[in-house]
Amino acid sequence: MRERDLMLLHYITGIGILVFGSIHVATIFFTYPFQDTIWETTLRFDSIPYAVLPVYRNALLAASLFGLLLCTTVHAMNGLRSIITELVGARKRWVEALLFAVGVFLLVYGTRTILIAHSLV
Amino acid sequence: MLARGVSRSSVIQSLKVMLIPGRYGLERWSYVLQRVSGVVVSLYFIAHVLETGNFVGGITVWSVPDYSFAERAYEETVKLLKNPIFDAGLAVVGFLVALHTINGIRLVLAHFGFSLGRPRRPEPFSPPPSFSSKQRALFWLSISLAVFALLYTLDSLMKVFRP
Amino acid sequence: MVEKVKFKVFRYRPEDGGKGFYKEYEVPVKKGMTILDGLIYIKENIDPTLSVRYSCRMAICGSCGVRVNSLETLACHTQVLELKRRVIRVEPMRNYPLVKDLVTDMTPLFRKQKALMTWLIRQDNVEQENPTKQYLQSEEELERYLQFTYCIQCGLCYSACPVVSTFPDFYGPQPLMKAYRYYADSRDEGGEERVRLVDRFEGVWRCHFAGSCSAVCPKGVDPALAIQLLRRSALKG
Repeated sequence: MRERDLMLLHYITGIGILVFGSIHVATIFFTYPFQDTIWETTLRFDSIPYAVLPVYRNALLAASLFGLLLCTTVHAMNGLRSIITELVGARKRWVEALLFAVGVFLLVYGTRTILIAHSLV
Repeated sequence: MLARGVSRSSVIQSLKVMLIPGRYGLERWSYVLQRVSGVVVSLYFIAHVLETGNFVGGITVWSVPDYSFAERAYEETVKLLKNPIFDAGLAVVGFLVALHTINGIRLVLAHFGFSLGRPRRPEPFSPPPSFSSKQRALFWLSISLAVFALLYTLDSLMKVFRP
Repeated sequence: MVEKVKFKVFRYRPEDGGKGFYKEYEVPVKKGMTILDGLIYIKENIDPTLSVRYSCRMAICGSCGVRVNSLETLACHTQVLELKRRVIRVEPMRNYPLVKDLVTDMTPLFRKQKALMTWLIRQDNVEQENPTKQYLQSEEELERYLQFTYCIQCGLCYSACPVVSTFPDFYGPQPLMKAYRYYADSRDEGGEERVRLVDRFEGVWRCHFAGSCSAVCPKGVDPALAIQLLRRSALKG
């Protein structure tokens, strides 16, 4: 891939994170079945396991969560590639291969979590 | 090839250059903060994906395990995370996400040539056109929102820890 | 009124090898005296082995770039008393091979300029060598690149750039700025070729707009602005 296209992808995924990330935070803020805000519940660690999973039975919300996962993975791995390459001081195959592998793993593992949450009865 | 004859700096030296803004002004601070926040938020993202995956049974399970499993996984996570270091970490992540977002928008605008000044004849004591007031305003907006996110988290923490 | 100011000067002898060291000199300073005047005073009265490169003493030639108290500046362009410090640390510029003491080898900068073809490109070579008419420019066409022609190639921006420090293959602010100066020139016909040259991993994409180049430029040239405008052209494809 040309560097220019990667940079465009970086901008697009950045905007994607802004959109999907807002949905992600808003979802949890507004649909969480407790009186306290999610933030306080999270900090206090007294929420009930699985309480947030039913939200993602909604296909649109699950899809937006997948969008967030995809955008964040691409954006983060591309950003880390740039930072690590500049830190090492030269372009290295292993840096790019490692980050690609980590990205694929995160995508697969995260998608699995979303799928399981989505199919929860 | 172009850098022939230049000794490459070690990773430690590079880290020093990346992390210490020195006396170069606001834009250099933005560079440092954007890098640091990017790396920290990426690490948080990786941890978040792993942790949420753990709740639904870890890497080997492909269906939702029963409630007792969830309770156990939850207890273990709480045991791991319930200490002041992770609370402070959460506040820092909130700060960095807000900063990276607005500063990122500022950088995208700059990369497409928006919100920058136009080239002009240099005048003594006038700042370079690329340090335009719009760019500076966006940078300070990112700092303000980040501080707001930090205060909000700290406020929540105060409420939580009040006996 | 004469004040005593301590100059802490970086010394490096290539034949000794090693990392170099700092040596302190006490210099009597009068109002209006520049860092370069101080260095020349040291060379003439205290330590003749000190090496420093300079020529015009009036911020025109761009020979005397050094780092004063961790900030790149022209030694002839900085007055000692304006710094308001009792101790002044003078170091050579970063990101260049060191020759001796404060003298650096600027070859990487010029090599990268050459790689980016920082000269006027015309398709018709015969016409370029023996022009048959005048090539006039409007005021607007001039303004598009005039700021970037003020560059004196002192290389301070290249030394201040954090990306060049960590990733030496990066073209650096000055060569990229120079490339944009010709790209924006209405007489230049190298448009696509220039964009192709900078649209590489080592090209415009490694600039993260840290602005250090523009912050240290002694002539008010704004390399950061030029690189962003060049990047816009590369993004448009």
